[in-house]
Amino acid sequence: MTPLGKLFHKLGLFLLHLSLGQQVALFWNAIKSLFSSSRNFKTDTRNIILQTFFTGVEVFPTLFIVASLFGTVVIIEVISMMGKMGLSDIVGSLIVVVIIRELGPVLTAFLIAGRSGSSLTTYIGSMVINSEVDALATMGVDPVRYLVMPGLFGGCIALFFMNIIFSASAICAGFLLTKGIILLTGNIINIQLTWSYLSHEILGAITLTDFVFIVIKPLVFGAIITTNACYQALNIQRDVRQVPKATSKSVIRSFLYIVCADVILSIFYFVDYINNINTLI
Amino acid sequence: MLDEALRLENVSLAYNDLVGNMFSQPKAVSFFMDREEDEQKELMRNVNLQVKRGETICIGGGSGQGKSALLRIIAGLVRPTRGSIYYFGEYIPPERLTALEVAKRQVGLVFQNGALISNLRVRDNIALPLRYHKMGTEADIDEKVKMAMDLMRVRDEANLFPHQLSVGMQKRVAIARSWAMDPKILLMDEPTAGLDNYNRRNLLPLIDNMRKLFKTTIIIVTHDLLMTRELNCDICFLHRKTLTEPHSFDYWLNSNSEISRELFRDFNANRSPNF
Repeated sequence: MTPLGKLFHKLGLFLLHLSLGQQVALFWNAIKSLFSSSRNFKTDTRNIILQTFFTGVEVFPTLFIVASLFGTVVIIEVISMMGKMGLSDIVGSLIVVVIIRELGPVLTAFLIAGRSGSSLTTYIGSMVINSEVDALATMGVDPVRYLVMPGLFGGCIALFFMNIIFSASAICAGFLLTKGIILLTGNIINIQLTWSYLSHEILGAITLTDFVFIVIKPLVFGAIITTNACYQALNIQRDVRQVPKATSKSVIRSFLYIVCADVILSIFYFVDYINNINTLI
Repeated sequence: MLDEALRLENVSLAYNDLVGNMFSQPKAVSFFMDREEDEQKELMRNVNLQVKRGETICIGGGSGQGKSALLRIIAGLVRPTRGSIYYFGEYIPPERLTALEVAKRQVGLVFQNGALISNLRVRDNIALPLRYHKMGTEADIDEKVKMAMDLMRVRDEANLFPHQLSVGMQKRVAIARSWAMDPKILLMDEPTAGLDNYNRRNLLPLIDNMRKLFKTTIIIVTHDLLMTRELNCDICFLHRKTLTEPHSFDYWLNSNSEISRELFRDFNANRSPNF
């Protein structure tokens, strides 16, 4: 091996020894396995749909309640505070930034990581302990393809729809709840709110970048949650006590990676702002 | 050699490598890991074994000698620390030696606990690898599954989940699942443990049929030494970290080796004319 080759070899091994590097490799393998010779459109679609429902539908009631309450709080806080400060015209931008752009995807991802990420880890982890994963491999069934791939795609699809539902219910149900509070308390909080005003402000503030990120963020977060959950599960070394450890690790690491990814993705917004400043000047 | 099914050459395994290939890690990670050089930390050393096509061979030995680990090595679940393995005369280099690669050579493994997929019914458990590898149409697969279930007499339990079955029955389903794949080499880990006498007696002709009709090479890890005699096959022992030469049951019974004294003592003590 040439010195340069040795250097690359060492660098590659160093990256692959990191848990993050192994997760990227697992993600890549899962994507690659979609095109393997054993692909079967019917079974794959069924598995992915099952996984989507498993990830998405069962978390829906909690998600809906969290979203509407959270939306109410944000709408009341933003409108009353901005009204006091005389900045009523940036209400829409603030709501878009807080709900649609940042906290919507992140909170949805947290809920799904806590519910589906953890259950995916326990499910696959138990299979590892019972040597079911080994049995799959000895039958020539690739565990990455059979277990990780449907989870990955199902998680991404579910997170995408759940994110839209979260943002929509935060704004719509949040509006209704705020109206209800105004009605019940006799407008003690003293805010003027109509649907036409709110929708006009939000639609005016939303940009094309937001639409792009509504798609990209959930997909990235979904990939992070499911890859991490499957990785932690497959990494268990045949000891039953490792399953709860792996589960908590899966959830906590998912939170960490989601926030990191959120920051990295937000840099694109900053780039957007800087470009805007240039045009203004 | 054309009629060779499996050959192990100087296979050694360290305790550290026992955990096997992790599916979470890329293959390169375990391949470039530092190898254990200390012989004290090795579970087995310089194991040599040669099995012909259609031959049945038993591997015996005390508990904890690494019999199951040897099967896991052959199935590709554990990469040996040193040594090489040939399947049907073909050498698989260590960087490619994974369970999936070995399974392509039609090597099946029946686990000690059955290892059935717990959320699938018995019928789907048997059909899973067939469907995955697209071995025929749905009707063909159904036919094959029914045949396998009839063979192991688990047809009545076709719609039950594995947790509703007893251990022995789970094992029979696992054997049916392996059989349905038409393996050329079948590895069995303690096939008779947990079976009652009736089912044990029924299992043995089945193994016999498989090697006679389908020319399947069968490697059985077992504590049940009498099985060797009933199947009329050779047995070798994992003893003092290495594998002995295969010999018949009677050879071991009459020899004066340490293994015979340890493991065949009861047979010799109870020896009767019709035994």
